[in-house]
Amino acid sequence: MDSAIAQKTWELENNILTVENQDPSSDSIFYYDDVAQAKFQHERPWANDPNYFKRVKISALALLKMVVHARSGGTIEVMGLMQGKTDGDAIIVMDAFALPVEGTETRVNAQADAYEYMVDYSQTNKQAGRLENVVGWYHSHPGYGCWLSGIDVSTQMLNQQFQEPFLAVVIDPTRTVSAGKVEIGAFRTYPDGYKPPDDPISEYQTIPLNKIEDFGVHCKQYYALDITYFKSSLDSHLLDLLWNKYWVNTLSSSPLLGNGDYVAGQISDLAEKLEQAENQFAHSRIGPLVGPSRKKEEESQLAKITRDSAKITVEQVHGLMSQVIKDTLFNSVRQSNRSRTEQSDPEPMVEA
Amino acid sequence: MAAASSSGLTFKLHPLVILNISDHYTRVKSQMNPPISSGNTANSINGGDQKQHQSPPRVFGCVIGVQRGRTVEIFNSFELLYDPSTHSLDRSFLLKKQELYRKVFPQFYILGWYSIGSDAQESDMHIHKALMDINESPVYVLLNPSINHAQKDLPINIYESELHVIDGIPQLIFVCSSYTIETVEAERISVDHVAHLKPSDGGSAATQLAAHLTGIHSAIKMLHSRIKVLHQYLVAMQNGDIPFENSLLRQVSSLARRLPAIESEKFQDDFLMEYNDTLLITYLAMITNCSSAMNELVDKFNTAYDRNSRRGGRTAFI
Repeated sequence: MDSAIAQKTWELENNILTVENQDPSSDSIFYYDDVAQAKFQHERPWANDPNYFKRVKISALALLKMVVHARSGGTIEVMGLMQGKTDGDAIIVMDAFALPVEGTETRVNAQADAYEYMVDYSQTNKQAGRLENVVGWYHSHPGYGCWLSGIDVSTQMLNQQFQEPFLAVVIDPTRTVSAGKVEIGAFRTYPDGYKPPDDPISEYQTIPLNKIEDFGVHCKQYYALDITYFKSSLDSHLLDLLWNKYWVNTLSSSPLLGNGDYVAGQISDLAEKLEQAENQFAHSRIGPLVGPSRKKEEESQLAKITRDSAKITVEQVHGLMSQVIKDTLFNSVRQSNRSRTEQSDPEPMVEA
Repeated sequence: MAAASSSGLTFKLHPLVILNISDHYTRVKSQMNPPISSGNTANSINGGDQKQHQSPPRVFGCVIGVQRGRTVEIFNSFELLYDPSTHSLDRSFLLKKQELYRKVFPQFYILGWYSIGSDAQESDMHIHKALMDINESPVYVLLNPSINHAQKDLPINIYESELHVIDGIPQLIFVCSSYTIETVEAERISVDHVAHLKPSDGGSAATQLAAHLTGIHSAIKMLHSRIKVLHQYLVAMQNGDIPFENSLLRQVSSLARRLPAIESEKFQDDFLMEYNDTLLITYLAMITNCSSAMNELVDKFNTAYDRNSRRGGRTAFI
């Protein structure tokens, strides 16, 4: 059974933990043990090791809420809080809720305005049976990737001083829709002056030109955590059945049409970067004796541009594939009606 | 108890609501039945099995959304407190929660309430009537939490209340309505992501391509299986195994006549233009790739055959 082998390989490669699912009726992760939590809070093992928390587990519900809220903001940054608990070196996010503040990256203590909301919400939640505490905050970076800006870094460092354990999550709803997969990142900052023991290799992502300075200055001050997701047995069951209903939406989604503006923005940004790289090349021709170091930087800039353009292209081609498939499925009937003899696949390019 | 609805309202349900209700139920159930620790599994299964698993709790909550004309779209939901003594929902709590949600989602208002169970009960009508002063025709969303793998349909029912005259007395009874699942693109992607637990990082272009095509493939498989069912049905009708049913035949015929979906010159032009645009982007990316490769080649060449230029001149190397 090739598929069984393939599944086992995939599970092994992706470290799929089926421990929790061995007894599906327990859904033990949903149980809030406040005695254990209080003990953990008291011990504070994270105080000694800035790299203590390594993993994040996000529930299906929290993910859905955060993505929907981020998307509803459009091009405006939105933010909210996450509730959950800790479990060894993992932070577990059970739920999330939105905060009524409009983000404009320049507001450092946006949370000060929302404290009353937060207190009210937490109180009502505890009454309604959600016992977890706030373990972090999330906000959106619509269109410019998942990383922490300078303001975000200072906010998070403040949080990590006074509200431990705390986590920062960033979501990019525009890229999510464009790429067809969820763009999310979870971060914790290092305390001031701490140098990480080794340089972690983070996943490369395109940053628009106007934000790249902000990104570069602060990217060493925080580290990313691994994100995994979990869901209850009832959730799994419902989601399976849900698929029976929304497969139509999968087929009918048209990412090409929906993301035209975003892609145009990306391409113009790429063009600017290319111009910058070209200027740098022009200067460097004067001194081939300058040394290999400067050349390496420019090369890597052009290589980065190449990677970015490849990424944009891949997304576009995927979108086009969907369109062509739909056209073949639903529009090719007339060809088979007209010409019974030629049963070849319809080729839209040759149509006209 | 529940007849078919005739109010003519169309209901649209977002997956977020479904996950909300399921999460609420799982939480409350889990708090009531704390997990058996691995140490004394054997003992508790023998002795404590009766005590541990109480009957599934009934949870209650409120659903919010918008109603535009005849379409009711349910976007979100939140929990409510149930007061068993008065058989009603805590009104002050509801108002407080509603205010909180109003601040973040100003366009949503209360559309109804939800609960857990397999069928609408008489006592639910009491709660339903209490909500009628907030919304004159609230909806009642009922989720059946029992996991039945044979079931192919979502175990969710939406009920409305209608005034029927029974035995000469006008009474409100629950009537079942049909609903569709409505989702925005972002919601669909995250639901898809969680449902199939795809690896979250991008990986290579090959895995992205595989993921994308797998999604479309499964959707087409569903379409194919549905069409096959229809086809078998029609063949059986043709053979005479099943009595003719004209209304169904009309629907199938209208479905078949809707293909091809779009057939016009303008569509073809636009489609080809989009196709060409994408090919242009691919071309541009390839040119960028090639020029980057050329640049690297030249630099490497320069570094390798550097001897001449090191002397300071800009004479041609080699």
